[in-house]
Amino acid sequence: MTAEFIGELLADGFFAAIAAIGFSVISNPPRRSIAYCALLAAFGHATRFLLTNTLEVDIASASFLAAMLIGWLSLPFAYKVHCPTTTLYIPALLPMVPGMYAYKTIFAMMNFMQHINEDEIASLYMIDFFRNGMTAFTILFSLGVGAALPTLIMRRWAFTMTRKKV
Amino acid sequence: MSQNVHDQLKSLALFLSEYATTLLASGVHTSRVVRNSSRIAASFGFQVFITMFQRTIILTIRTTDGDHSYSMVSAVKHLPISFEVNSDLSALSWEAYDNHLTLPELWEKFHQLMAKPHINQWLLLLLVSIGNAAFCRLFGGDLIACVGVCCATAIGFRLRQLLLKQHLNHYFVWFLSALAAALSVTPLVLLDWGATPEIAMATSVLYLVPGVPLINGIIDIIEGHVLAGVSRTINALLLIVCLSLGLLCALLLIGGNVL
Repeated sequence: MTAEFIGELLADGFFAAIAAIGFSVISNPPRRSIAYCALLAAFGHATRFLLTNTLEVDIASASFLAAMLIGWLSLPFAYKVHCPTTTLYIPALLPMVPGMYAYKTIFAMMNFMQHINEDEIASLYMIDFFRNGMTAFTILFSLGVGAALPTLIMRRWAFTMTRKKV
Repeated sequence: MSQNVHDQLKSLALFLSEYATTLLASGVHTSRVVRNSSRIAASFGFQVFITMFQRTIILTIRTTDGDHSYSMVSAVKHLPISFEVNSDLSALSWEAYDNHLTLPELWEKFHQLMAKPHINQWLLLLLVSIGNAAFCRLFGGDLIACVGVCCATAIGFRLRQLLLKQHLNHYFVWFLSALAAALSVTPLVLLDWGATPEIAMATSVLYLVPGVPLINGIIDIIEGHVLAGVSRTINALLLIVCLSLGLLCALLLIGGNVL
C-alpha cells in the first residue's frame, strides 16, 4: 500500500463526508447528529473504496460490508446523541446509493426501444440494462440489509436510543 | 363507565392518528411508526393496531381485555422528510411511556415539536451544492467539473425549492429540476472545458436521487412490511425515471450521444 493510495483513500472518505452532509440536510436532520453522519459516511465509503480497490471485492459485497460497518457504528453514536439509529445510518448511506446505475438502466431501456428490431444493437442495450439494473438493485439491497441488521440484532438496546437515561 | 372508556379511546385514537400520519410523512420506516404508537397506547393501558397504505392508515385502539375498541381511517399527510421529527417524536413516545403524560400534555408537546424551525433555505442550497460537487469528485471529476456541478446543483435545487413551494406535481418538479441542472453544465461539454465534462454531466442530477425512501423501502421489506416497502420503492423509482428524462432531454438538446 503506497502513500499515494492512502492519500486517495483519505480523500475518498473526506469527499464522501461532504457529500453526506449535502444530501442529508435535505432531509432536515437534528443538528447534533450531522457530524456523526458525516463521520459514518466517511468510514463507510472509504471502506468500500478499500475493498473494491485492494481486495477486488465486487461492488455489492463491498457495499454490504461498508453498510454493516456503518450499521454497527451507528449504535454507539445513536446512544451518544439520543437519536434513532436510522437517523444516523440512512444519511451516511446516501453517498453510496446507486443513483447513476439507476438512471443508466432507464437510458438502456430507452435505447433498447429505439433499436428493438435490430437484434445485434438491441442485445447490447439489453446487457446494459441488466448490468446496470442488477448493480443498482443489489447495491441498494445490500446497503439496506447491511445497515439495518446490527439494529435488528441488538433490538432490545437499539430501540431505546431516544429514551431519557435515568 | 363504558361511555367514559369509549371517550378515552376516541380521544387517544385522534392523537395517535395525527402522530402516526406525521411520522409516516416524515420518512420514518413503518415498523418504527407502529412501535412508537404502541408505546404511547401502552402508557394509557391500551393496545393499538395499525394497517398502513401509501395514502391512508387504518387504526384500531382497544382495551387490553378487548371489551371496547375504536377504529378510524386517516389520510397520510404531505410533509417533507425530516429526521428531526423522527427523532423528536420517538423521544416523545418514550417520555409518554416513562412519565405517563396526559393527553393534553401530549398534544402540547407534539405541537411544540412540530413548530421547530427548519434549516435556512439558503444555507441548505449552499450545502447541497457543495455536497453534490464533492460527489462529482468521488466519481473522478476534476476541479472544473466539480465547480460546474456545484453551480448546476445550485440552479437546479433552487428551482426545485421554488416549484415545490408552488405545490407543483412532484414528478414534474423532478423533471424540470434535472433538466435545469443538466443544462447548466452543458457549456462544459460543448466548449470541452476540463478533462472530465461527461462526469460533470452525469453527476449534475444526482442530488435528486430519492435515497431516503429507497433505503426505507428496503428496510420495510426485510422487516415484513412488504407492501409498504414496495410502494415506497416504486414511488422513488418513478422520481428516478423523471430525473433521467430530464437528463435525457438535456443530452438531446445539446445533440450529445446518449450514454
